Amino acid sequence: MWFIISDYSSFRPWLDQMNTEKDVYGKRTLDFVERLQKLTKYEEICVEIQKELEWFGLSCVTAWSMPGPGRPHDEGILLNTRPQDYIDNYKEKKYLIHDRLITEMRQTLHPYSWKDVQERRKLSKLEQKIIDEGRDFGMHDGLIIPIVTMSGSVSVISPCGDDPDLSQRARSALEIIGIYSQQALKRALIREQRDDAAHTPLTPREREIMQWVAIGKSDDEIAEILNIGATTVTSHVENAKKKLDAFRRTYAVVQAIRFGEISL
Amino acid sequence: MIIMLRGSEREQNSKFFDQLFRLRHEVFVVGRGWSLPTGNGRETDQYDVDEAVYFLDINEDGVIESSVRATPTMNHSLLADYFPHLIENGMPARAPDVYECTRYIVMPSRKSRDTIRAAKARLLIALFQWAIKEKLSYLQTVIDAGTLGSFVEMSPKTIPLGLSHPYGGGRGVAGGGECIAIRWPVGQHVIDDVLEYVGWPESPESVYDAEVMRSSSPALEVI
Repeated sequence: MWFIISDYSSFRPWLDQMNTEKDVYGKRTLDFVERLQKLTKYEEICVEIQKELEWFGLSCVTAWSMPGPGRPHDEGILLNTRPQDYIDNYKEKKYLIHDRLITEMRQTLHPYSWKDVQERRKLSKLEQKIIDEGRDFGMHDGLIIPIVTMSGSVSVISPCGDDPDLSQRARSALEIIGIYSQQALKRALIREQRDDAAHTPLTPREREIMQWVAIGKSDDEIAEILNIGATTVTSHVENAKKKLDAFRRTYAVVQAIRFGEISL
Repeated sequence: MIIMLRGSEREQNSKFFDQLFRLRHEVFVVGRGWSLPTGNGRETDQYDVDEAVYFLDINEDGVIESSVRATPTMNHSLLADYFPHLIENGMPARAPDVYECTRYIVMPSRKSRDTIRAAKARLLIALFQWAIKEKLSYLQTVIDAGTLGSFVEMSPKTIPLGLSHPYGGGRGVAGGGECIAIRWPVGQHVIDDVLEYVGWPESPESVYDAEVMRSSSPALEVI
């Protein structure tokens, strides 16, 4: 079902109570959207988004598409200004499935702050550790903005800062900023991928191995077929993943097909 | 097939309108529990005026699968009447070349992500084809803030008119939420966005005016 707002008889009392707010948030945000709509280059879009978030005291941001059932290839970072070693560590330890800031999305798909989540219930040791590690680089609060698309995928924009403005109006502004940013980043990345197949080409060996990966062979099986060591196979796959900008094998296969490196 | 009906032709097209108002009753009053004026199991309101235009997507069995109503904002605007605070950029809610969309229904008989997406796209494309012909500048609507992402996904040219504001007690309250006003500039470029979004090479079909349809295809009368 689509959107509908029309039970308007019950809105009137609300409207009467409400002062039409004449603060800076509305105008600022609409101006930002207008500027963003004119940009097409990925780098310019990133700069514009960071500048806007800075105004709210949000100095770091990560925007990523969440993997989901049947959509493992959706996983991908659209924009990240958190320290890379923090992200690498986060991924390596598979924090995504334990991070209280992320698991809260099972309860709500509306924006919420780190503090909201901590106030809701006592955290487990691991949950606390994940949040503490996030604070190690000077971030004390942040907003999680879940974005659900019509295709059913979920993206998250997660800006944070030392002492950010997360007032109600700021949150309403950031929700819009998040939605437009995510779409602009995604479109720019898709456009760039489409425009320049300027990925680093695979070597013939990597291509050969990815072809076997694509039909579901394990590293051991590929090693046997090609009469080489399994660790060598793994290392070729890892190199191919880097070249194809993929965190996962399945996505590497998708990318390899898209770039015409392999075919099925 | 998408057909367009004018509010002024309610009598001539009573079969369609009767089905539409019954469907609206089913969707909004029964389904959502909204307290709307109803009579005889049909839902109509003060925006069902002669100047209103209706877009209906009708399947082979003559059943309405999706619909939307557009009203000229000069005299008939929900945004101007009830939600003027949603506009924060100073744009007037009423203008002769701006129509407002309300009462969206998207209920394809076979429900899947793809069929729903296609149904929405068909309806929006028809709406914009008509708006281009009418030389409108904008189409506007009030939506639940939670659905903004879907609209920006369909067309990045979607313009917010302000931030979201709570209604009915706000988020977390049954029947409440946040709403936001949006506008689309009327033009082929928005249709192109929607086409790209659903992955269609071109617009599926043009809008059929019920008046023209009736004269050329008597079969429609059977519905």
